[in-house]
Formats: sequence, structure tokens, C-alpha cells
Amino acid sequence: MTNPTLPTAVPSDLSLDPVAARGRLVRRLVLLGIGVLAALVLPLVIYPPVASDILAWALFALSVDLLLGFTGLLSFGHAAFWGGSAYVTGIIAIRLGVPFPVAILGGMIFAMAIAVPIGYLSVRRSGIYFAMVTLAFAQMIYFVANQWLDVTGGENGLQGVPVSFFGISAVETDSFTFYYAALVLIVIGMVAGWRIVHSPFGRVLTAIRDNSARARALGYDVERYKLIAFVLSAGLAGLAGGVFTISHGFVSLQEVDWPTSGKVVLMTVIGGIGTLWGGAIGAAVIVLLEDQLSSSGFEGTGIITGAIFIIVVLLFRRGIWGTAQNGFDRIRRALAVRAQRKRNGDSAVATRIDDGS
Amino acid sequence: MAHTRRKVVGAVALLSSAMLLAACAGPAATSTSKLTDGKVVIGVLNDQSGVYKDLSGPNSVIAVQMAVDDYKAKYGDKAVATNIQIVKADTQNKPDVGNVKAEAMYDRQQADVILDVPASSVALAVAKVAAAKKKLYMNVTAATTDLSGPTCNKYTFHWAYDTQMLAKGANGVVAAGGKTWAIVYPDYAFGQNMSKSFTAAVEAAGGKVVASIPTPFPNDNFATFITKAQASNPDVIGIMAAGGDLINFVKQYNTSGAKAQLAVGLMFITDIHSLGVDQFTGTTFTDAWYWNYDKKNRDWADRFLTLTDTRPSFAHAANYSAATQYLEAVQRAGTDNADAVVKELEGKKLEDLFLRGGEVRADHSVIHDSYTAQVKTAAQVTEDWDFEKIIATNPAKDAFGPVNPECKL
Repeated sequence: MTNPTLPTAVPSDLSLDPVAARGRLVRRLVLLGIGVLAALVLPLVIYPPVASDILAWALFALSVDLLLGFTGLLSFGHAAFWGGSAYVTGIIAIRLGVPFPVAILGGMIFAMAIAVPIGYLSVRRSGIYFAMVTLAFAQMIYFVANQWLDVTGGENGLQGVPVSFFGISAVETDSFTFYYAALVLIVIGMVAGWRIVHSPFGRVLTAIRDNSARARALGYDVERYKLIAFVLSAGLAGLAGGVFTISHGFVSLQEVDWPTSGKVVLMTVIGGIGTLWGGAIGAAVIVLLEDQLSSSGFEGTGIITGAIFIIVVLLFRRGIWGTAQNGFDRIRRALAVRAQRKRNGDSAVATRIDDGS
Repeated sequence: MAHTRRKVVGAVALLSSAMLLAACAGPAATSTSKLTDGKVVIGVLNDQSGVYKDLSGPNSVIAVQMAVDDYKAKYGDKAVATNIQIVKADTQNKPDVGNVKAEAMYDRQQADVILDVPASSVALAVAKVAAAKKKLYMNVTAATTDLSGPTCNKYTFHWAYDTQMLAKGANGVVAAGGKTWAIVYPDYAFGQNMSKSFTAAVEAAGGKVVASIPTPFPNDNFATFITKAQASNPDVIGIMAAGGDLINFVKQYNTSGAKAQLAVGLMFITDIHSLGVDQFTGTTFTDAWYWNYDKKNRDWADRFLTLTDTRPSFAHAANYSAATQYLEAVQRAGTDNADAVVKELEGKKLEDLFLRGGEVRADHSVIHDSYTAQVKTAAQVTEDWDFEKIIATNPAKDAFGPVNPECKL
């Protein structure tokens, strides 16, 4: 599938210029440092349960970006995996009382298991058809959750999901400490996402995104790759959904409802499609906005988030993160050009560097 | 082990603080020292922007403010709660938002009590928070009986109504001649609950349910279900839908030419106001409170009208009542300590604007008289919002279901 609006961030990484590579490494380390620091101080700055929400949604958005940004598939049914895992995590935690990472693992496995048939039937389509098919499957999961009262509690939701963590009461009762326990799980998920994108497998996904016919011609089994990406993405969404459930102590029908699928796509778009980390920014923006607006007395949360979405789509096509990246690249290039000019006193060189980077 | 240690530490802390207090409590001690943090904070957590905004929403905050004003006027210098703050937040009817907001209210805003909280899923989530934080929670606008059932806890009170109370109003309808019923309900937890409660209530009153028809939820086209319901030729068609679905159903019902009397499971006066009495004429439903019932209600509704430009729904009056009774309990206890306040509420008989024959039951369901109401015809309406004719008053002990055996406090 070719989509001209999708950025081609990954291919530029293939540049083998050693100077540029070192610059990239430094930049990456700096950004990584900032990211880690931000994640560590987050619950000091904002209310810890809200911070845990941001974590969960950030990984959820990353899982969507894995499909949307790196495989070119817009899933509009990811709530099925987030919510499916949320229910299974909740049920395991309530009935078995196991430590929550185990319950979340169970939820994650469930999400991946249902992703196999759903993915198998939907990856054969692309674009709007793929979005609609995934939405339809997610709605099926929604109706099952709504009707199966004995197991899911239906409209009332599944209440009283315990936080069990190897008897360490600090994590079990204090949302501040819980945040750090959740952070470990989310970071594992994010690193997994990063590894997937930067593996040979991830390169094939990007190739499929940019030109699936050509990838097929080169001998790649396009459907199989898409299906694997879909299942992996569902697994990450499931991990995020499980963390969300444990953090809140309940599962509601809302987790499997379609607005949840919409919300996570919104976060991904606002953060920046195909940037992987942009989703975290998008998640932070949306979750904080919801939190602030609901205490502010202002009555139109939807109006504000809608307006932000429109602004981002119209003005920052690559989302917040993508636009920042662009701006950063432009400054770096301008500096490089100026440095080169100073060295050579020859303006013609600038063009060459511009092309080479 | 850790538990006993904590208990010991707690006891020691309590003892030493009691000794400290005894040392300080000279003649100079003021009433403020009885409050845990120098103030009483009442949190109103509800839907400030969505479907439940009109029936409760921002105007419930005003109702609570009225309760605070009345409390101050009543006790003046003798008031235990000298410094009362009201904080509010919007749940957007999302359980996760409501859950975080409730935690934040208790933790960051030092709320001593949270009021209102519509939507069952949100309400149940907040009950868990209240139990964990050991702070009061008086739910007003959620209908689920689970609040005084499986999720009941020491700090949670269910104030105004529940699905069983709504169903009990069917007694009045059966007594007035509506013997055979067809029940149409949306097929999800609330609808199924309502259908079950209504069936039991109708049969207990000597009526008969001849058809029970589930509909998808949400749904736009009710034509087939209306036809199905009519096929059994019932005296009454009971519709258990709420909100937008209810409005759709009623509009379609009126154009279908059906002759059976319509009984609505859950209806607020704001629903009648938004759709017009014409659409509902003759419809019966159970109301927890009606503003034009007697002079006391009317006087309060007049005050409410000057502040809000609208008449109160039962939810507004119930929020006023919950806030009032909370402050009264603080006054009796002499402190805002949650456990002491709970003790002042448990098992008490309460009377106020909203609670007639009110009583806090063992399962923390607050029972009171309910009313079987019928929507007036347009000709009978003498002023705006004067929509209801009360055809029966159900005394508190008959108005609610039995004490929930699932509740273990």
C-alpha cells in the first residue's frame, strides 16, 4: 500500500555516513535520557493514577503506531485487544489472586490469541476496508462483554480487581509506588516495540507499507508479515490494557467500546504517525487534557480534543513528535551547512550536503 | 502479621494523640479543632457535560450549596463544620475518569464526602475508592442495587432510588387496573435488571406479565418491538429504556396508534420537559420526589428556581438531602471523622425535604416514601414543569426491596 502522507523516517536511518551516524547516536541517547527522566519524575509532577494512565495509553498508542506507522494498516478495532486483555487480566486477578504481572501476561496472551483469527481475516484487506473489518470484530467482542453478565458484569463492569504484587504492600496500596512497578512493564513493552521496528522483520514491514506489490515481488509473504505484525501489536495493546485494569481496579464496558479505538488512533495521530514515541506524547496530551478539563468546570471536553485534532491534522501533518523532529533536523542541517560554508567558503557545497543527509 | 503491627501502631498513635488532645483541650479550644483538617469538603462528582447533565449535573452543585447555606443558617455559631467547601468534577460518565477523580477528590482536595455519581459502572467504581480511602460516599443518581449489594461497604450510602424502588411503583399501576403487562427492555445489565424487578413487582401486586421483549441497545427503530408487545394485547406496556432510547421509543409508540397504557421504568422530570407532556400523556412511572407535591417541596423548588431558572428533579433534591444529612451527622458527631459520621447515620430515621419516612437500612440503602406518578395532559398543566399527578404514595417500607442479603458489612 502506498501512502504519500506517511513519513519515511526509517529509510533515512539506513544512511551509512559515519559522521551522521554518530550524531544520530548522540541525539538518540539525549532523547532517551530525557524520556527516561520524564518517565521517572512524572508521578511527582502529576497525580500518580493519572501518570499510570498515561503509561498505559502510551504503550497502547505505540501498538497502534506499529501497525499504522510501520505497516500501513489503520486498525479501528484495537479496543478489542486492550479491552479483551483488560477483562481477562481482571478475571485472572480476581479469581486466582496471582501477582498482577502474571494476570497481565494472561491478558496479553488472550489478546494475541484473538488477534490471530481477527488478523487472519482482516489483513487481506487494506485501507478503509481493513479499518471497517477490525471495527466489526471489535464490536463483536463488545457485545460478548455486554451480554456475558456472569463473567464480565455487563454494563456494571468488573469491579474489585485486586492489586497483588508478591506481598509488597507499598505497590499494592500506594498508587505512587505502583506507577514504578507499572513503568517496568510498560518499558518492556516499548522496548519490544522498538526492537520489532528496528529488526529485519520491521524493515520488511516498512517495505510492505511503502510498496506491498514490490515486497511481494521480492518474495516476501505480505499477508503473513502483516498478520504477525497485527498479532504483535495486539500483544502490546493487551499489555497496556492489563496495566490499565490493575491501575484502576476495575474493567468497564468502555474498554472494549469503539470510542476507545478512536481515542488511541487520535493519540497516535496527535503524537505523530510512524514516530513510535509520538504516541506517548499524544497519550500524555489527551489524558492530561481529560483530567484537567473534567475539574475545570468547562463543559466541552470533546470540543477541545476535537479542536486539537483538527489543528494537528491541518498544521502538523506529522504530529507533535514528527514536527519537532522535522524542526530539529532542519536546524541541524542549517548548522551543518553554515559550518561547511565557513570551512570551504563555497556555497555550492551546501546543496550536496542537503541531498546527502 | 503486618496487619497486627499496623493495628498496634495505630492504637499507639491514637492513644498518644488523644493524650495530646486532652492536654491541649483547655477552655481555649474552639470547635474548629474537632475537624480532621480544619474544614469540611463536600465533593460533587457527576456528569457536568453529557446525557445526565440536566437531571443532575451543575444544578446539583447548587442544591448542595443550598444545603450548606441552610446548615450555616440553622446552627450559626454552634456549627461544628465552620469551614465548608464544595468541590466538583466531571466524570464524563467514564468509569476510569470517575475513578481517578474520586481518588483525587479524597486525596488531593481532602474531600470528606462524595455525592451524586450517575451511571452504574462509574458509581460502583467510586464505591471501591471510598472503601479503600475510608471516606464517605453518598450515591444519589445511580440505579444499580449492587451499591447496597455485592459492592456495599461501610462508607457507601445509596441515597435516592434503585431499580427495585422503580419497579415497586408498578403496584400503583396494577391497583389502578393495569393487570396485564408487556415489558420491553434494552438487553444489557440495567434493562435486564429492571425487567426482572418489574416482573416480580407486577406479579406480587396481582398482575401478570404476558410478554417480555428484549431490544438491542442502543437502538433507533422500535417498530417491530412495539408491534410484538401489542400482539399480546396487554393493559400496560412497560418500557425500561432510558435516555435517548426512551425518547425514540416514546415517539414511535405515539405514532404507532397503540392503545395500551405506557409505563416508563426510569424517567426524570427533565425527560418530560425536553420531549413535552404531549408525548407522555397518561404515562405512569415511579418518582422518588416531586417538586410540586406539597408546600415544603414547592417552597424549596421556588428557591431553586431563582438560583437556576429551572425546577428541580428528584436528583437535585436528593443531593440537597444527602448534603444536609451529612452535615447534620457531622453536627451530632461533633467531628468530621468518617467513622464517627457513619455511626451517626447508620440505622437512623431521617426526615427532610427529600426523605419522607426515611431510614438508613443495614445495607446502607436509604429508604423513603416513593410516588407513583402519571403525566398530566397538556390541558391539566397549569404552569411550566407542572407535569405530574401523584396517583399513589408508597410508604418507605413498601417502596423498596428487601434488605440485600448479598451485602456483608
